[in-house]
Amino acid sequence: MTEQAIEPAATRLSPEEFADRARAIEREVGRVIVGQHALVRQTLIVMLANGHALLEGVPGLGKTLLVRTMAEVLDCAFNRIQFTPDLMPADIVGTNILIEEEGGRQFRFQPGPIFANLVLADEINRATPKTQSALLEAMQEQQVSVARQRYKLDPPFFVLATQNPLEMEGTYPLPEAQLDRFLFKLWVPFPAEEDLIAIMDRTTGAETATVEHVASGADLVAMQRLARSVPIAPHVTAYAVSLLSATHPDNERAPGLVREYVRYGGSPRGAQALVLAGKIGALMDGRYNVAIDDVREVALPALRHRVIRNFEGEAEGITPDAIIRSVLDAVPPPRVD
Amino acid sequence: MTLDPTLSQIRDGLRPFRRRLWLRRVVRDGTFSLAAVMGLELALALAARIVPLEWGRVAAAAIPLLGALALLVDAVRVRPTLGETALALDGEQGLRDRVSSALEIALRSPDLVEAPLAAEDAPTAEGTATEDAATYARFVRLQRRDALSTLRAADRRAFRPRLQRRPAAVTVVLALLLVPALLLPNPQSDVLARRENQRAAAERQAEKLEKAAERLAEGRTAPDPRLDLSAELKKLARELRERPEDLDAQLARLGSLEDALRARIDPANEQRAAALSSLARSVSRLSSGQDSNPGGDPKKANEDLARLGEKIDGMTKAEREALAADLAGLESTARQAGAEAQAALRNASQALGRGDAAGAKDALGRLGDALARGARNVELNRDLARTANDLQDARRQLADAGKPANQGQGQGQGQGQGQGEGQGQGQGQGQGQGQGQGQGQGQGQGQGQGSLGGGGSNARFLGSGSSSGGFGGPTAGNKQFSTGDIDKVLADFGRLGKPGDPSYVAGTGGDGQTQQGSGTGQGTPSDAFVPYTGVFQDFYDFAITSLERSTVPLGVKDYVRDYFSSLNP
Repeated sequence: MTEQAIEPAATRLSPEEFADRARAIEREVGRVIVGQHALVRQTLIVMLANGHALLEGVPGLGKTLLVRTMAEVLDCAFNRIQFTPDLMPADIVGTNILIEEEGGRQFRFQPGPIFANLVLADEINRATPKTQSALLEAMQEQQVSVARQRYKLDPPFFVLATQNPLEMEGTYPLPEAQLDRFLFKLWVPFPAEEDLIAIMDRTTGAETATVEHVASGADLVAMQRLARSVPIAPHVTAYAVSLLSATHPDNERAPGLVREYVRYGGSPRGAQALVLAGKIGALMDGRYNVAIDDVREVALPALRHRVIRNFEGEAEGITPDAIIRSVLDAVPPPRVD
Repeated sequence: MTLDPTLSQIRDGLRPFRRRLWLRRVVRDGTFSLAAVMGLELALALAARIVPLEWGRVAAAAIPLLGALALLVDAVRVRPTLGETALALDGEQGLRDRVSSALEIALRSPDLVEAPLAAEDAPTAEGTATEDAATYARFVRLQRRDALSTLRAADRRAFRPRLQRRPAAVTVVLALLLVPALLLPNPQSDVLARRENQRAAAERQAEKLEKAAERLAEGRTAPDPRLDLSAELKKLARELRERPEDLDAQLARLGSLEDALRARIDPANEQRAAALSSLARSVSRLSSGQDSNPGGDPKKANEDLARLGEKIDGMTKAEREALAADLAGLESTARQAGAEAQAALRNASQALGRGDAAGAKDALGRLGDALARGARNVELNRDLARTANDLQDARRQLADAGKPANQGQGQGQGQGQGQGEGQGQGQGQGQGQGQGQGQGQGQGQGQGQGSLGGGGSNARFLGSGSSSGGFGGPTAGNKQFSTGDIDKVLADFGRLGKPGDPSYVAGTGGDGQTQQGSGTGQGTPSDAFVPYTGVFQDFYDFAITSLERSTVPLGVKDYVRDYFSSLNP
């Protein structure tokens, strides 16, 4: 098995440059995406954390547009995969095809749409689990294996998957193992009325909003690296761990909602997501330290898909967000009087 | 070790905040301590109103001291560290963990604590571990700068001391409840006062009993019964000290011993003593021909009898018969002095009548011995009687101490009157006043006892006062009528005139009949009538003996002495 590695040129950033770039990206995306500031920020956090995001929302809220705009702003290679029940793994990762050359016939790897910096897995829950699992290796190890050949994916590599919570017939809910690989699960809210008015103005007129490249893939890699260097105080890390632990029903700090309606709590990836996202949030705010509030702010998107409800929880309609909020209430920031 | 200057500045900048945080914690815990102290004081005050707590005052004083001590210990314990101060400051002023992160990371990375950090712009190889370390170090330094600037901009009035509402409210409520609990009269106070009086009385009576025991044992050798009595008194004194609260048992022990003593006392002791004295005087007069032994000293009488015996050989028959007649005339007195003396006297008289000089001498010698033994028996009986009286005093004092408290605020009156009537010559009268509270009533009784020819008197009066008290001060219960200072002057009226008491002076009865009743008796004249010159010395001696009591004021002693001096024939 051979490897094909593509190392981008790394640039060195200061924290101030990080914040400036992040603000520029948000601002540029905001030229196309009306409102949804939290969604844009959280999506950007996912990308700066070198993670993947699962966007959930009803059709027409701009999920696909958001991802595509991100790709345009970041000057990244973008591919969109529309997941359908008949989609095969090879349709995603690629396959070896037989070609004729002067020397004769030989197999040559034809990369699939996964080979991009930013992959939009649209309506991911419509593909079969077999096809969904084709993403696992790419998402976790940022490589694909075809015919015993391993192909490295160029950094940065993001998978932004979407799913529709309404049309559940004929869908294949993502298994917990795959859900856990998404850094955030983002809920795309319905726009506010004033935002809707702005959307109408922009989308029904003659002019089409355009965006500029404000960052490159190399910039993103540098920002990712810088974010990981942010020192975090032990008490903040401990708080993130406490939050995660409290999602487990057998934990002594778990609130009643968790004890009653949660089957399994978040995995350690949840705490990693809290800490890493907290670091990025701090840098985006122009700070050099991670605050407990940074961790609390990302608790919902980082943990909501990692908390597995039991039958009673699902039957009674207890949402993961309600559970996470109860956890946040049960684990207040450490207070010293 | 030199700290990074920025880090040092952060630590220095935190110190004023640490002091303020410390003060806030002390105030907070002080509020809790105060509430706890108030709660305990209230509980103690309520408990003291239900059951008598002898250690209540000590506990009431100790609780605030313990609270203060606990607060002091707590104040040391809650002294915040700089890390705690940083966390608290971040939380109080919304600094988003800037200061605490800088401090904690400095502790976590001691290699970065030491200054100075590598220059920020030092060239590093990109994408290497060295670059990552440099980036980390740069962040640490940036965090410190950020923390320092944040700290400088922080409100210096942070951590204002504030009272915890709930404990403060609880403290106020408890204090309001505590005031009436302390000020309203406590019925248990009387119980405690009575116990205290009881203990004090027990101690006093124990001392008296010990003094009596020493007095009894002084100069005595075995097998003198007074030594056994002395040991018994010491044992009683010890038990009084050890168990002063066991009043009934102590009274029973004292009463038992007193009864035993009374049973041993010869009721005719004083009569016998008077007879012995009279006999001694008479035989001395017979021997010397003059009143050479006015005090009736048995020793002197013994010596006079010995001299009289020596004279017998030289006497004429007529003189012997005259002496025999004189001796026979003393027989009635001798009979009261004792059978032994009577027999010896009779033998001497008969021997003289027969002309048996040797027999008369021997009989006179036996008479002298009988006088001496009689005197010793009289002394023993007096000691026993005095001890019995001491025990009676002790019992009375203890019983009085065990009664409800009779001291209080306010004034009251109690009056009592006693009147005694005696058959013969006894009379008694008493009057007293007492203090109580509110209203007082007094009752008095008097008894008198006397015997014909003997001047004993007894007057006893008992006064009782009842009182009722109002709000505002300790109540005073019914008050035993007190004779006031007269108690200090006069011996117990209850025993006056009774046989066994030094004040009792028995008249010497003759062969005539003893008549009882008022007015003039109809008995035949006999030796029962004794001129006062004959008994003056006895009265005087017993009065002096009574004056030796420590409870008799000096002025009264002089008064008594003057009185007897004026009567001295």
